[in-house]
Amino acid sequence: MLVPGLLIYAVFVVYPLLASFRFSLYNWSGVGPLSDFIGLGNFAYVFAPSRFLPYVSRAFLHNLYFFALAFVLNGALGFALAYLLSTINRRASLFFQVLYLIPYLIPPIVVGFSWSILLTPGYGPLAHLSKALHVAYLPVLGSSSLALPTVVGITTWSILGLPILIFLAAIINIPQEILDAARVDGCGSFQVATRVVFPMLRSTFFTILTLTWIGSFAVFDLVFVLEGTQAGPNYATDVFGTLFYRTAFGGFGSTAQGMGLAAAVAAVGFVFVMIISGIFVWLQRRYGDV
Amino acid sequence: MATSSTAPRTRPAGRQRVSSALGKLTQYGLLALYGLIVLVPLLMLVLLSVKSLAGIVQHPLHVPASPHWGNYVGAWTKGDLGRYIFNTAWMSVASVAIVVFAGSLAAFALGRYRFRGNQLIYIVFIAGLAFPVQMLAVPLYSLMNALRVIDNPFSLVIVYGSTGLAFSVFLLTGFARGLPREFDEAAVVEGATPFYIYRRIALPLMRPIIATVALFNFVTAWNGFFFPLILITSRSQMTVTVGVLSFVGQYQTEWNYLIPALIITMLPPILVFVVASRQFVRGLTAGGLKF
Repeated sequence: MLVPGLLIYAVFVVYPLLASFRFSLYNWSGVGPLSDFIGLGNFAYVFAPSRFLPYVSRAFLHNLYFFALAFVLNGALGFALAYLLSTINRRASLFFQVLYLIPYLIPPIVVGFSWSILLTPGYGPLAHLSKALHVAYLPVLGSSSLALPTVVGITTWSILGLPILIFLAAIINIPQEILDAARVDGCGSFQVATRVVFPMLRSTFFTILTLTWIGSFAVFDLVFVLEGTQAGPNYATDVFGTLFYRTAFGGFGSTAQGMGLAAAVAAVGFVFVMIISGIFVWLQRRYGDV
Repeated sequence: MATSSTAPRTRPAGRQRVSSALGKLTQYGLLALYGLIVLVPLLMLVLLSVKSLAGIVQHPLHVPASPHWGNYVGAWTKGDLGRYIFNTAWMSVASVAIVVFAGSLAAFALGRYRFRGNQLIYIVFIAGLAFPVQMLAVPLYSLMNALRVIDNPFSLVIVYGSTGLAFSVFLLTGFARGLPREFDEAAVVEGATPFYIYRRIALPLMRPIIATVALFNFVTAWNGFFFPLILITSRSQMTVTVGVLSFVGQYQTEWNYLIPALIITMLPPILVFVVASRQFVRGLTAGGLKF
């Protein structure tokens, strides 16, 4: 019974992954035979402070920043909205759930183009709106300090429906007697949320933590559309995804381009993301159950 | 006098009703506020989509006196959007079929049976969640080249049909583990094969989570951008996302066509979802998500 799934998965996911690790041991431009075996040369290049390390660590810090902000937003807004949804009647709740999921269904690339139109400085709708309200309009996507948080904000806008549903699922599974008992003891709904429901969702917070972690290191489409492969302004939004893309498909000039090096960058990222995810899953199993 | 001394202890019913009505108002108010955050940008786009180019640039927030529905016709014909949507639709449906079939079988085996290597296989599947799929780009390109499906949406059927298994096996296995076992045991006693149990007992019970998985994968395939970008080159084979990219390249400044094109490409997955939403939400909320 495992055969169809495992076979497809082995051929089209596991094998390419291993092949990609193999590429990381070669000096290879992506075409032609794999002949120039250089061992760990690409990895040495990735970690050499005078070579690739500045780019890799910059991208890494941007992914970390992305993760931290996205987790705060997903955790706080996701939990708060899910709790509110659990307290209203089911029809209304379903209506809001569907509404909140709509942005998730829009292709990230279309989300990106749409927001770049809405945020266009000068004559874009939001620029007009802030003029009408007499608020100074900031060209957020062109600002090196605001671009990354803006990308995180747009990402959250587009995916928040999912964390909301995951939290809601967990809240629904809390036995009603516990909530009733808390109310009888005199808790208001705010206290029920913070003192009873919140601590019981520890495991769910770990799930959101792990999913946000993985998602934050996979971000690519939105940065590609909003800021280009150069991840502007001045690389302020450069993440692993765009760094990999430039290394593999050009954008660094002749000094650092090639599939071998890109594969090494990806392998480093993969191992790192895997290790931390493993720690999160371990923490969830150890401390998640109340 | 006696009543006044008890009054502070039990809240008067009237005040409680007022405060709970206020509470309801705050609850719905906050939920509606986030609803607006979701909707307003989309409505702004819809508004812009029916304006002339001059109107979009000069008065983006005014409601036009006469909507330019012709923008949609222009976008549809100029952009060849019908073809992109057709390519994307069959590609997405086919890849979902692969994921649902192979994924539910594998999840049934992993979630219901103990055997050597079970945990290892499960970890191999969910490890697929942990790396950027771009990493697979070059090896997959060579594979697709060997299979002679480059520049054919069929290559995307394979890519999404296989990469989608990671998250799907995770969701389905979690669900399969939680199914009641009494039925299987009874069926085993009566001599049923595992495949029979899968088809007749597990599959019907797994229907809500299968709906969720199907919709997830449909959306992932439909919205996918990176793989169509590298695997598809000719315009006639493009899916909507790369189609939109080439549209943007061509009509960058013609927002009166660009915006309707963006809206047209948003619509199909949203419509599929609204139809299937009840099943989707039920599947996702049926069991707690846990690794």
